[in-house]
Amino acid sequence: MDSMNILSIFIQTLVGGIGIGSLYALVALGYSMIYRSMGLVNFAHGSIYMIGTYFGIIWYRGMVMGLQVPYPIAFVIGVLLNAILGLILERIFRPLANLDLMLMLLGTIGLGYVLDNLAVIIWGAEGFAVNSPLPNEPIVIGGVALLPQMLLLITGSALLMVGLNVFLAKAKIGKAMRAAAQDRETASAMGIPVNTTNALVFAIGAGLAAAAGILAAPIVYVNPAMSAAVGLKGFAAFILGGAGSIPGAIVGGLVFGILEAISAGFISSAYTKGIAFVVMILVLMVKPAGIVGEVTVDKV
Amino acid sequence: MKNTFKVILLGVGALVLLVFPLVAPNRYTVHIVNMAGIWILMSLGLNLAMGYCGQINLALGAFWGVGAYTAALLNTRFGSPIWINMPLGMILAGITGALIALPMLKVRSHYLALVTIGLAETINIIMVNEIWLTEGPLGISAIEMPELFGIPIDGAERFFYLVLICVVIGYLVARQIVNHRIGRAFIAIRDDETAARAMGVNVARYQVLANALAGVYCGVAGVLYAHMSTYISPDIFEFKNALFVLTMTMVGGMGSLAGSLVGGLALPLTQEWLRAIKSWQLVGFGLAIMIVVLFMPGGVVGLTQKIEQAGGIRLPWARKQTEGKPVAEEKLEMEGPNVA
Repeated sequence: MDSMNILSIFIQTLVGGIGIGSLYALVALGYSMIYRSMGLVNFAHGSIYMIGTYFGIIWYRGMVMGLQVPYPIAFVIGVLLNAILGLILERIFRPLANLDLMLMLLGTIGLGYVLDNLAVIIWGAEGFAVNSPLPNEPIVIGGVALLPQMLLLITGSALLMVGLNVFLAKAKIGKAMRAAAQDRETASAMGIPVNTTNALVFAIGAGLAAAAGILAAPIVYVNPAMSAAVGLKGFAAFILGGAGSIPGAIVGGLVFGILEAISAGFISSAYTKGIAFVVMILVLMVKPAGIVGEVTVDKV
Repeated sequence: MKNTFKVILLGVGALVLLVFPLVAPNRYTVHIVNMAGIWILMSLGLNLAMGYCGQINLALGAFWGVGAYTAALLNTRFGSPIWINMPLGMILAGITGALIALPMLKVRSHYLALVTIGLAETINIIMVNEIWLTEGPLGISAIEMPELFGIPIDGAERFFYLVLICVVIGYLVARQIVNHRIGRAFIAIRDDETAARAMGVNVARYQVLANALAGVYCGVAGVLYAHMSTYISPDIFEFKNALFVLTMTMVGGMGSLAGSLVGGLALPLTQEWLRAIKSWQLVGFGLAIMIVVLFMPGGVVGLTQKIEQAGGIRLPWARKQTEGKPVAEEKLEMEGPNVA
């Protein structure tokens, strides 16, 4: 194997890692936004991602009354439906946010259990592969073969992340959300409806998860069990980047995805998951607050 | 008066347990109860680490697996009997627990939850991939049923007594620990780590000890499981079973050993009872967890304590308040979200 070839394989692996990494990043953004605004670590977010994927893909595959809709429309429907689900779930989660971590952990895990098993009852446990709306032939640029769907996933995710940042920075309601996340009492004293902004945060988190799931569905296999797999990695990305940090979630997701792809391609495919976790543990031991997170001092 | 009642209650309880395998409707029922005993042992371990010492630990499945694989490998490769496998399984699982505790000294709260999940996943991946050692995903079969003092323990009925002995010893040891200086140090660390440190408690040492103890309890459970089911495979020791133990401990009462007994018995039996409706059963399970969390955060034991306090009565089986309040009743100060 000549060096040119190794380089192109490396680039190909890297792009694959960025693709899966953007999926993790979008899921991690949901964890991060909810944690930032409500102080809630939502272990059911993986299930919300899984349900969101189904919400879009069932339309695309004609599983609802045999009605087959084009991919972009299915995408929009899925994102909207999941955002509505997010609004409803926020009501259920609200009392959990004031509980101690262990109870919060268990309460959200309980809800995840409910969502996962409802999905099994409604759509079956087997799952299915989804055909890409784009051609399946890889595009070859300078010896590097790239799947069109992978490029769609990467550009789509990038647009969503930029859009989210602009929304939070510029839009009035986005600013209100940031204010509510920083200081709940002051924000509500200033007339910001904190519960409404929290509900909106939940809806956006769920919408982003659905978007990620629907974009990635033609690359990964869709089944209810993916809630645990991707949920765990999104959570890892959220912690790795720094809990509650928006850029942290994006960096964490990409780092985790690239790490996975490189360890699968160049070290050992059997130990992919293990290597990614070990690196993550090492990062946390060196920088306990994550890559981008701030160090908090223990209160006495 | 009170004591007589307690003695009678204890006597009746002991009698019921002793004759249970003889009067049980079938062997399968006994098997389910044996399994509940194994869950109880793990729940006791989790309670020591998490309920008393406040260490979030989601790696129980891995400790359990280390115990089970130790017994299975020693037995199938060298034919070693359970009384040799048991101490070795306990030691190895205990060491695993202590090793998992090391990152805990540095990392806290939800970060910690993730680190323990990550380590447990890694151990599970080793079980799947190191085929030369663990036989990989196919698992290890034909583990011998044990024999003690020349008596073959070869059916669920006889195994019941072995599990019963382990659970009773495990419970009594745990009770000694929590009433001992070690237990008081655990509770001090759980309630306020900084204050505990200021009072001269060696926090790091006790945190490692608490997790090593959780490892030892799961090790016992693992050795028993391997010899009972005669077949093990990596998927048994996955994360979902660590969650199951967490759930039963929370439902029973985190921070109360009696809670481990209640939850460890109630949840596996309920699960078995609802087996016919499969997925709906799991939905109900999730809802049950949420109801416990939202409305009775101290679990069943916390609820009985509340009833006592509200009515000013003491339920007949109540013990003196030496075990400390269930964690849930303490409002732990959470660090505020980091905003970047």
